[in-house]
Amino acid sequence: MNAVRMRRPVSSLSLGSSLKGKLVRAGFQFVTDMQDLNPEHLSAEAGVSQQEALEALQAASSGHTVAPVTALELLQKEEEFRNIVTFCSPLDEALGGGVPVGKVTEICGAPGVGKTQLCLQLAVDVQVPAVFGGLGGQVLFVDTEGGFQVQRLVDLAGAAVHHCSLLAEDEEQRVAMTTFTVETILSNVFLVRCRDYVELLAELHLLLDFLSDRPRLRLLVIDSVAFPFLHIHDDLSQRTRLLQGLSLRLIAAATDHNIAVVTTNHMTTRLRSSHVQLAPALGDLWGHAPSIRLLLRWEESRRLASIIKSPGHMDATVQYQITCQGFRDADQSERPQSKRPRTQTDQSASSRENTRT
Amino acid sequence: MKLSSGMCPGLDENLLRSLRAADIRTVEDLVSSDIEDLAQKCSVSYKALFAIRRVLLAQNTAFPVSGADLYEELLSSTAILSTGNPSLDKLLDSGLYTGEITELTGGPGSGKSQVCFGVAVHIAYQLKQSVIYIDTTGGLTANRLLQMLQTETNNTDEQMEALQRIHTFRLFDVGALLDCLYGLGGGGLHKVCVGGGSVKALIVDSVSAVIAPLLGGKQNEGMSLMIQVAAALKTMAKDFSVAVLVTNHVTRSSSGEVQPGLGVSWSHVPRTRILLERVESGASGRRSATLIKSSRQACLIKEDFDLQWWSRAEGERGGETSGKRKLDETDT
Repeated sequence: MNAVRMRRPVSSLSLGSSLKGKLVRAGFQFVTDMQDLNPEHLSAEAGVSQQEALEALQAASSGHTVAPVTALELLQKEEEFRNIVTFCSPLDEALGGGVPVGKVTEICGAPGVGKTQLCLQLAVDVQVPAVFGGLGGQVLFVDTEGGFQVQRLVDLAGAAVHHCSLLAEDEEQRVAMTTFTVETILSNVFLVRCRDYVELLAELHLLLDFLSDRPRLRLLVIDSVAFPFLHIHDDLSQRTRLLQGLSLRLIAAATDHNIAVVTTNHMTTRLRSSHVQLAPALGDLWGHAPSIRLLLRWEESRRLASIIKSPGHMDATVQYQITCQGFRDADQSERPQSKRPRTQTDQSASSRENTRT
Repeated sequence: MKLSSGMCPGLDENLLRSLRAADIRTVEDLVSSDIEDLAQKCSVSYKALFAIRRVLLAQNTAFPVSGADLYEELLSSTAILSTGNPSLDKLLDSGLYTGEITELTGGPGSGKSQVCFGVAVHIAYQLKQSVIYIDTTGGLTANRLLQMLQTETNNTDEQMEALQRIHTFRLFDVGALLDCLYGLGGGGLHKVCVGGGSVKALIVDSVSAVIAPLLGGKQNEGMSLMIQVAAALKTMAKDFSVAVLVTNHVTRSSSGEVQPGLGVSWSHVPRTRILLERVESGASGRRSATLIKSSRQACLIKEDFDLQWWSRAEGERGGETSGKRKLDETDT
């Protein structure tokens, strides 16, 4: 109905502040004032170099606006990518299939509760071939604490391969099993060790190039994101800003490249009026970054996993356990296949003693 | 506004050049300078300059509007959009007003995105209008929107139609946000309208995720960009008669009180502000909403509501049973 068009002020363009200052002082307040000029004209009038004038004109041209995506198209895109199973079926159900691709998921918990174990399990599970319901993807594992153990990954990989080989029914699945072995699983895990936050931020800067070279990458694990930042005590506001920039980069990578980003976080005590509470570390501002938050904790002798934040699912608490095969359901009797490996000798190279009573 | 030749009779290239030499480049400079002085400096006749100034003033002044006319205009152009949740509507004085910015603030997990989803679904399905949803947090899940729609209707065609009325943008930095807002304002809104229903609501979840990293420290662009975003949102709200809903994070003040983020400068931008908090006791979906800024109602009224309101099953409107769980059972 109305032919009203908003005029864009020059100061809102993404140009250097000194360039913007010169343009505004020369009288170019709105983008419409500069649009019809050619670079020579603009550089003469505003007293800027030709290159700066060209840059300004490019920023002013409204060519690069992103087209909107309707929610229906978004829904179709979401259904394209499956979730990454955790092999603990109550948890997978509560999450709607598993850890979602395209979102940032955070796993919080006290030390020793199983965060790294879950990360290693996800690193194996993302590689399950598509014919078995997995993603067949690669994983980039960023280790900041030194908790990554190759031997444990071998155990988990062996158990997963065994599980899938028991499920293989038709020709397609048997063919897929030839490429799903412990060796290929290990070769699809890219490990990076970062010793402090500078290395972590640098690594994430290079992430985009890494992602464009590897279209099969479906999972990025950062274990843990808290550890390098917990050492910054002198400038907390800088820490907050670094974390916010980091979170934006992770969310952009997850959304634009369709990868699942999993970060682990520590717990810290928070004094709330009179009582003391355990809360995820790194503060409330970091709390806005992950879309999904899982809290792993002990309750007497049981291990519990709770969903404390999720855009699509209700808060829920399930029980899990960690066996020699990895992250599993609490009640083993519901999973007959995993019972068999306990009585048979495992095909993995190392010998392990059975931890189940 | 920049002075250019042909803007009004008498303003030719020669005059422009002499004015520029006297450091007069914009209309504001010309209008606010001393005409006699300028006539001497540029060796132009006083009468000519005076005439030019009069024409420019006539072309560019804002004319005062009487209160009665303004009221008439408001009555005809403002719409009130219900959020779909009666408790929230009560706090907002029956809903979101077009032409204004409403802010939802709260800590992580307090339900801001859920409320935004609910509002988007309600406007797209019940009111049959288009909604623009700008997501900067990565939390937008179309599946959740579908879940909410499935409790409103079982008809898949209607669900798909409503989903097509929600237009989403996913942006992760402030430059992209400004590009998007000005792109919409410069004609993009009309393109979005093709297909059914004019755009009545613009939701930005969240505005603090892209602005907060720029504030503080040695950065000096942050405040300016924040005010640019505020100006763009306000202009869109007023000129296009849309209701703007934004979300913000919370910080703790020195005394430990919870307050909305982005500081005092941003606090003037939204007309109405609601603080969402988890209710410690009670079912997991319960939240409390407190009105912390409003020009229409007394502040600090609190309402408890259930986040599952937008996904409660058909026969339970008004009840508290877990609508979501029932949905999982009937889901295909």
